[in-house]
Amino acid sequence: MKGATPSHEGVTGRVRVLPNRNTLGFVALLVAMWYAGASQNNGAAYLLCFVLGGVALVSILHTHRNARGLRVSIGSVVPAFAGDPQTLRVGALAAIGGMHAAIRIKAGATGSSIAFEEISGPQWQFDQLEHSAAERGFFPDLTLAVSSLYPLGFFSARMTLTIACPRWVYPAAEGNRPLPRHLLPARNRGAGIRTEGDDFAGLRTYVQGEPHRHIDWKAAARGQGLFVKQWAGDSDETLILTWQDTAGLAHESRLSQLARWVVTAERSGLSYALDVPGTALPPGSGERHFHACLRVLALYPAEVGP
Amino acid sequence: MKWWRGKHSNLETAPLTGVCVALVLAVVPLLDRMAPWAVAIFAVAILLRLLVNRQQMRLPSMPVKIALLAIGMGGVGISYGGFFGVEPGLGILLILLSLKLLETNTVRDFQVLVLLGWFLCLCGLFFSQDLSRWLYDGCIALLLAASLIRFHYAPRGRSAMRPIWLAVKLVAQASPIILLLFVFFPRSRGDFRFQFSRSVDGVTGMSDQLSPGSFATLTRNENRAFRADFPDGNVPPLSQLYWRGAVLWRGDGMIWARGTGGLPVERPAAQLTGATVRQSIILDPHGSRWLFALDRPASLVRDSEFQPGGFLQSYRPIVAPLRYTVVSRPENHEAGLMPDQRKAALEKPQLISPRVRELVDAWRAENSTDRAVAEAAMHFFRKENFVYSLTPNTYGADALTEFLFERRSGFCEHYAASFATLMRIAGIPSRIVIGYHGGEFNRLGNYVLVRQLDAHAWCEVWLKGEGWIRFDPTNVIAPDRISSGSEYFLESRALAESAAGEPSVGAAGFREMMRETRLAWDNIKYQWDLRVVNYDEDAQQTLFNLAGLGDFAPPVIVLWMAIGALLIFGILAAWLSRVRGETLDPLVREYRKFCRVLARSGVVREPSEGAQHFAERAAALHPEHADAIRKAAALYNAARYGHEAPRPFARAVRELPRLRHITSAS
Repeated sequence: MKGATPSHEGVTGRVRVLPNRNTLGFVALLVAMWYAGASQNNGAAYLLCFVLGGVALVSILHTHRNARGLRVSIGSVVPAFAGDPQTLRVGALAAIGGMHAAIRIKAGATGSSIAFEEISGPQWQFDQLEHSAAERGFFPDLTLAVSSLYPLGFFSARMTLTIACPRWVYPAAEGNRPLPRHLLPARNRGAGIRTEGDDFAGLRTYVQGEPHRHIDWKAAARGQGLFVKQWAGDSDETLILTWQDTAGLAHESRLSQLARWVVTAERSGLSYALDVPGTALPPGSGERHFHACLRVLALYPAEVGP
Repeated sequence: MKWWRGKHSNLETAPLTGVCVALVLAVVPLLDRMAPWAVAIFAVAILLRLLVNRQQMRLPSMPVKIALLAIGMGGVGISYGGFFGVEPGLGILLILLSLKLLETNTVRDFQVLVLLGWFLCLCGLFFSQDLSRWLYDGCIALLLAASLIRFHYAPRGRSAMRPIWLAVKLVAQASPIILLLFVFFPRSRGDFRFQFSRSVDGVTGMSDQLSPGSFATLTRNENRAFRADFPDGNVPPLSQLYWRGAVLWRGDGMIWARGTGGLPVERPAAQLTGATVRQSIILDPHGSRWLFALDRPASLVRDSEFQPGGFLQSYRPIVAPLRYTVVSRPENHEAGLMPDQRKAALEKPQLISPRVRELVDAWRAENSTDRAVAEAAMHFFRKENFVYSLTPNTYGADALTEFLFERRSGFCEHYAASFATLMRIAGIPSRIVIGYHGGEFNRLGNYVLVRQLDAHAWCEVWLKGEGWIRFDPTNVIAPDRISSGSEYFLESRALAESAAGEPSVGAAGFREMMRETRLAWDNIKYQWDLRVVNYDEDAQQTLFNLAGLGDFAPPVIVLWMAIGALLIFGILAAWLSRVRGETLDPLVREYRKFCRVLARSGVVREPSEGAQHFAERAAALHPEHADAIRKAAALYNAARYGHEAPRPFARAVRELPRLRHITSAS
């Protein structure tokens, strides 16, 4: 077979059965039963102790068997901004037959989790796992913690799976600086600020950080919330978003501000260019350009030194 | 939100109900040991928890729970005057259980609840180690385990029995390890400072006193007293089985008591002769210090001593089934009677009526030897119209005179007491022995079962040159009682008294069948007591010696036990993994193979991709084998959805040509 297992074939791993916080109570019970048997010379208590102890031992095997052979996959992941939840489409398959009961899958060490009551049969089963993307960047894989308490709960089966799942996390789109005023004239139109003569195209909700000039203050006064007026001619303007525009902010905040602007510009239908040290993207707009810009920001090196 | 309202109930009904049922079942046999108010709190907690779960109401909040805990603990402190001991302990357990039940809402809570339930099962075993009780508590423990399984996994569309079945399966698979642990885990008789419990369920049995009616009340008591087997195989005839319990020295007419205080103790072993009879006895706990042995015990049992009159007494009350081996020798040649014992054995009753005095004087005048006087007394009982009766009514102030000359109706204690008293009046040292007589021989288990209804009292008379000689006046009144045992005697009496006159054959056959069944069941319980309940340090050592392991130190045995357990564990693991592979549907197995073949050529099925779509995609990438791939997919769909046999698909997969990797195709 060539190469590594593709991620959508699913990944399985070694199952470890470990004691958990319920184990201690169970051991305490066994000790109490043993003590009762020994101190009273109580054969019946001894037997009950050994029956429960033996059953717990055998339950280790069942716990192991229950998780063994489970395949887990993650579908392609939609990029997210840092700090926002990233939805993962997690699939599970009983790859060697039988049934996997009470499987819990958690993203990372501290992420949220989903539970599969039963995984069996030839088909993949899917569920959405909300994973909170903490840091910006590109991540080739994701570590999932698969666990199950089945059948008795005094031992946990654990399987740590690192699954190939290309995942973009863009810098959080934050910052309240207005859009920079470097506008490239498009179609040789006047280099001024957005002209008011263009056709009114409608309203859209205000996103924090946008210039206040475009807010529909009448609507705001009516208590309808903040809306931004849009003009049809907007797309003819080109905005240049440069690293220098964010001067004065901390390193990560500069990236966030740039991401904010990219989002605002894209939503406003503006044509925009990105110019950060090391990379300069020509003006453009649309889905592809939008993601290209944000990927540049996501991969931008972290600040070196203090 | 109101301050008393906590979280919403979060549990499924089925496992919660299972645990509630198990807890109630575990509490029921302990009811008479628990304060009624604690039981009431428990009942309310059960009902409330089920109700809250049902209607999606809210659980009680933390302040409510703390208040309940304070009330419960205060209640235990007040009603028991402390927190230590069995009853307060059970009270506390019940309160904690009720509170835990009320707050149970998470995985951890549920696990703790089940642990508490198992502990309750253990508490049941403090009071009785009977097989039936163990099975009862064992079933409850199993139900708790099943509830736990059900809690973790609700089987889709399958019956509620499935978790129970799995729990049974777990026990069955664990049984070799359980057996290994039970046999080889070192049993110790350490000095345990803290005792869980030292009491027995209200046992009605023999008492230290003998008074008219004290034995007759036992005739309806079918409870077991003890079981004895004879390791050397020499089982004496049932009529010869006089099980010595205690000797009563102080007599006043019809009422006799121990009166052993201050009496010197003879050394019986030196004076006994005759064939030795070894008995291995499992004594049921009776809360007193009796240790029964055939007349007359010649060896001591651990932690016991001889008492004046040559009977065994344990140092401590017997609160758990006790297994001991004792040797008896039927004959004795006591040369001399100690002066203090003689004095005690001659103490006459305070009140002797003229008629009694006259009777005894007549015997004395007619006979020269003590033996002849005793025989005369026996003859008196035989000759006069005495009746053996279970319901002799109560006697008045001068019970002895009334019994001997007027009513002449009584049970063994009447005859023993009157005979011994008459002997003392005649100046012959006498004493009463209480214990059991006879028993029931169980052919299946080769042991004698002695029940409370076999309780008996007889006399011993000191004859110079012979020693203490047994006289059993009951023998002459109701010889059947002695020759065929108490139960048969009672049964035949009941038959004779029944209005029908002659008993029907069917009824007798049914009774015989019931008796056989009872004996068979008792044999099972006997094996349980013998092999499980009384498997202690000594029994373990005996078994080790028998197996040639006697010389190994406990740590070595523990090591081998662990190795053995690991071995069994490994075998079980291998077996379990084999079973999993087999459960795979053959069609699924073949389909996986199909996907693997295509994946190797570079066409990987998307997780959500159906067979049809996948095959089309693969066919497009492998145009030279498109037909074979499409055919296989069609056969798969026919087998999966059209209920065709999976075999054609398997063949199609096998016959799939070797596919080149798509990247090297061009």
